[in-house]
Amino acid sequence: MNNKLVFWIVTAVLGVCCIYILTSTVILPVFTKSALPKVVVHTVEEKEKNGKPSKNADDSADTSNGGSSKESVDKLLELKKREFLTQSRLALATEDSNYLVLDLSNKLAILELKGIVLHEAKIVKLTLSNSIKQQHAESLINWASEPFSVKNIEATIPKIVFFEKIAPKDTLEANKMSLEPKITKQGDVLVIMDFQRNLRFIISQSELPDPDGLKAITELRKSYSKLEVSRSLDALTHLNREPIKPQIEIVVSKTDATILYKALPLNPRMILKF
Amino acid sequence: MEIEEKPYRLVLSIAKWIIPLVFLILSIRMITNTPDYQEPAYQVKGWFGDSSSYQEKSQKSIDKLAQKSRRNIASLESRIDKLKPVKPFIVVNTTENRFSLRNAAGDTIKTGMCSTGKNELLISGTKRIVFKTPKGIFMVRNKQQSRPWIKPDWAFIEDGLPIPSARSSERIDYATLGDYALEIGNGYMLHGTLYQRFLGLPVTHGCVRLGDKDLELIYNTLSKGSKVFIY
Repeated sequence: MNNKLVFWIVTAVLGVCCIYILTSTVILPVFTKSALPKVVVHTVEEKEKNGKPSKNADDSADTSNGGSSKESVDKLLELKKREFLTQSRLALATEDSNYLVLDLSNKLAILELKGIVLHEAKIVKLTLSNSIKQQHAESLINWASEPFSVKNIEATIPKIVFFEKIAPKDTLEANKMSLEPKITKQGDVLVIMDFQRNLRFIISQSELPDPDGLKAITELRKSYSKLEVSRSLDALTHLNREPIKPQIEIVVSKTDATILYKALPLNPRMILKF
Repeated sequence: MEIEEKPYRLVLSIAKWIIPLVFLILSIRMITNTPDYQEPAYQVKGWFGDSSSYQEKSQKSIDKLAQKSRRNIASLESRIDKLKPVKPFIVVNTTENRFSLRNAAGDTIKTGMCSTGKNELLISGTKRIVFKTPKGIFMVRNKQQSRPWIKPDWAFIEDGLPIPSARSSERIDYATLGDYALEIGNGYMLHGTLYQRFLGLPVTHGCVRLGDKDLELIYNTLSKGSKVFIY
């Protein structure tokens, strides 16, 4: 009787431990990586209205006394965030390629070269994955402290379209050729970029796609979700914890999405401003 | 009979511990198999707790860190400012075929339409000639008024004409480039156009064509050494 009781107690305790560890190291990381309903990202103006620290309010940090209050730590974190961002901008500005600055606070996607703003795209909708939203400010700053380099890009539109033209044999043939410019139809845009540190960045258009565009967009999304499902299953069957995959999705106008994708170099780099 | 049953019972009593043992092994495996993060910068402290390493520091050291951070920011920003153009510059958007003329402070003076490369591959026998506007950062190398265009070989190939000698007068064209031309290197220019109706469309062989009034303003604003950003 005693033996039986001990058996059941030990089995129950270990069973609970096992379920807890399975949930916390495997199931939760896999399932919580998808986005939660709308993330509220405060703009600079909102922060100032709410009395939260903004970059202009840094000067007051030195005057506080006593133990390290949450307020002064927050101010320091704000400063550190700005310092890392400026450091990243300088690192990329010294290079000859353009780069993307993703300003999450002001909802802007900015294309820069040598510190000069080439193009500014207003983000219509911004979705941050749960793994970004749940991170502590300090670890988020550490994670985003350096520029992100791309590892893989997939898009529904080509980077550049070339028309082939056979040179005319004589002036008669040349005169028959139309002078009117060849304009390609602007395709519907979905760009999926996988960056270092597991960051997935998605650019999609706010306009409704046409049937062909919708097909291309759906196919690209499907291929990525298939890959994700197989990875998650693989992780579950091997009892591995999937690395956290922070995801940022921005919705911009079709023109802006096209400009951003076409203007970025083949191996783009990105800075996160939040 | 009882003597034969004893080892069987012993096996059973050991076997019943297999279930908790499996649980234990599974738990240990799950913990030890949790993969390390490939990137050292990716620290997931937030996953395990919300504590900040700064919270353990005293107010004095936080103030020091803040001061140091402020100094760093000022120094980094001044280094970024040094990279920025000191003269007015122009930004050309090849996707939309638009330009933006800006002063040294970066404020927009004028925006408008232009024409950029048509992204065409001209095939003539074994020759392959690409017509596209290069992207990146360029500099105004030379400014000229009423500059004649010295037609390269491709201009004759495209028109189905025989290619004249290098110094032939047939190569000189006084009308095509318009009133002003600003050279940006490798034969590429910002210049005028006879085809004003095509402004806003990709029709050129790589140069940036501008409307007459815009070109005049750009010519008068930009000087030798001014930056040209093309994206």
